[in-house]
Amino acid sequence: MAEPYVRLENIVKRFGPFTALNGVNLDVHSGEVHALLGDNGAGKSTLIKVMSGVHAPSEGTIYVEGKPTVFNSPRDATVAGIGTVYQDLAINPLMSVTRNFFMGRELYKGPRGLGIMKMGEMNEIAHDEMLKIGIDISDPTQAVGTMSGGQRQTLAIARAIHFGAKVLILDEPTSALGQKQQMGVLKTIKKVRKRGDIAVIFITHNEIHSQLVADRYTFLALGQVIGAGKKDELEHNEIRRLMAGGAEMRDLEQELADI
Amino acid sequence: MSDRNESDRLQQESTFQRLIRRPEAGSFAVMVVVLVLIAFASNGNAMNALGIKNNLSIISQFGIIATGAALLMIAGEFDLSIGSMIGFAGMSMAMMLKWGLPFGLGEATPFSAFFITLAMTLSLGWLIGTIVVRSGLSSFIVSLGFLFGLRGVTEVTFRLINQSTQISGLQDFKETSFFARLFGGESFGWFYDLAFALGFNLNRRGEQWVTGLDARVVWWMLVVLIAYIILSRTQIGNWIYATGDNKESARANGVPVNRVKVGLFMTTALCATIFAACQVFDTNTADAAKGNLKELEAIAIAVVGGILMTGGFGSVIGVAFGAVTFGLVANAVFYIPWIDGSFYRVFVGAVLLAAVFANERIRKRITGGI
Ligand SMILES: Nc1ncnc2c1ncn2[C@@H]1O[C@H](COP(=O)(O)OP(=O)(O)OP(=O)(O)O)[C@@H](O)[C@H]1O
Ligand SMILES: [Mg+2]
Repeated sequence: MAEPYVRLENIVKRFGPFTALNGVNLDVHSGEVHALLGDNGAGKSTLIKVMSGVHAPSEGTIYVEGKPTVFNSPRDATVAGIGTVYQDLAINPLMSVTRNFFMGRELYKGPRGLGIMKMGEMNEIAHDEMLKIGIDISDPTQAVGTMSGGQRQTLAIARAIHFGAKVLILDEPTSALGQKQQMGVLKTIKKVRKRGDIAVIFITHNEIHSQLVADRYTFLALGQVIGAGKKDELEHNEIRRLMAGGAEMRDLEQELADI
Repeated sequence: MSDRNESDRLQQESTFQRLIRRPEAGSFAVMVVVLVLIAFASNGNAMNALGIKNNLSIISQFGIIATGAALLMIAGEFDLSIGSMIGFAGMSMAMMLKWGLPFGLGEATPFSAFFITLAMTLSLGWLIGTIVVRSGLSSFIVSLGFLFGLRGVTEVTFRLINQSTQISGLQDFKETSFFARLFGGESFGWFYDLAFALGFNLNRRGEQWVTGLDARVVWWMLVVLIAYIILSRTQIGNWIYATGDNKESARANGVPVNRVKVGLFMTTALCATIFAACQVFDTNTADAAKGNLKELEAIAIAVVGGILMTGGFGSVIGVAFGAVTFGLVANAVFYIPWIDGSFYRVFVGAVLLAAVFANERIRKRITGGI
């Protein structure tokens, strides 16, 4: 088996007395879609924040292409090829589409910082990249606050892909979208997977979505991995059971019936 | 099914519609109204040769500090130390010019006095900014501490070295030093010469009346121009907006949020120092009370100029319009004899409230609240 692009080993993350992650292992392979599943509060978002340099792990090691790596900032993670689409999308509502798209990575002429931004070129790229994954925004100078949830999602994904992510982390990318746009995002994930050089980490609460696109699964509950494996190694019922945080679906159904 | 796409849903706007939606639109309208009202009420006296000079003098003072305050507010922070920084910088320069450089380093020149002072004020700006970003405390409180602290330091230093909290009758450095003329001298002399040549700008005896504007007008224009270019055209400008809009997402995208903030606290200190230098070299005096309340006027002007209190939105040009408005009203009492000078504050209060409501509407419209 090829070397995973990113490997997390025994990651522990504490917030004060609260242990959000308790020794998590995760392998991320290029060309694969890795579904990260688990109940609300299981620690999925925390795990990917560790992976993308937002939180430093309390314990454990991150390997990028086999080398132990420390991310001191999100920039470090971006440089290492980890592109993140956060649940809150990391988008600024008062700023224009283009200014959001290039936030922190503006194209400019001249010295860093004081360089003049190439607005025309940036407008064009932002428009084209979003068109490629299915949304034709009318005006790249429009404020993002005025756009729909799906359009914002597209912006965030297009941005991560454009900036050369080797690992594309999508935190619940479909949760706020209508049916058609959900399928659009899944199509995008498939398209990205087909390139073969990008790994996708896909967080979702939707079992059907995960089955449509995922190659590999990791299930979290209360900050720990309770199950992991490739798609063909896992039974459908097993997936459902693990998604419910390890509880038997039948038990839950029974509980519901009892009320 | 038609081949209608997303672009068809946005109505083409006329140029006029685009203009009135710009962030400067409101403050421009207020400025025009005030300009016209004051011109009429003063029988044109506010806009004659001397009126323009005097108005632009105070407009530039307001404009210089309000621009710095506005950039900082767009990045989501306040600086209440601007007024005390003006007092401190003025004291520092005047003191060196009167009593010589510190540590017995000899006589001060306007050049050395200015740059030594600037080094101190920039360091203070850096310190305020660093405390704010490191502690995560509200800049309101941190800079409030400096509002009191710096004013106190200024007074104490004055009394210790100078016995009095005022310095007056400094030598007129404008006569001898080009550098002093840069701050305290005149500008746009050619404009007034031209007006005279064309038969305007005459005094009662038919001679040329006013010789030029204050040098600070040029400083104001420079500050506005540079701030405008930085905010709307450069990479740092994008970082400033991003920092004020949502600093977590800005940080997640690699914007150096802390450095942006610290840099902007240093910028307000720079503006305060320019303000003070113009004052010292123009009047050859300094006073521990100089700059009192200026930080609040700067914030008020920024808000009237369309800057959101919550950050992330606003324009330098709007703030320039705000400075013109405030300057005109502050001076109105000199041209309109029947008006009580305190109406200036009534006006500031009313316009400020109106502006805050208008800005909030804009914010809601953009973020989808309306
Ligand atoms: N900065 C923080 N400080 C303290 N506790 C935190 C912090 N971030 C997350 N937590 C806690 O860690 C736990 C895991 O949160 P996390 O956001 O990772 O869950 P999640 O699996 O993404 O849930 P969801 O499916 O609802 O998005 C939660 O109990 C949360 O309250
Ligand atoms: Mg989450």
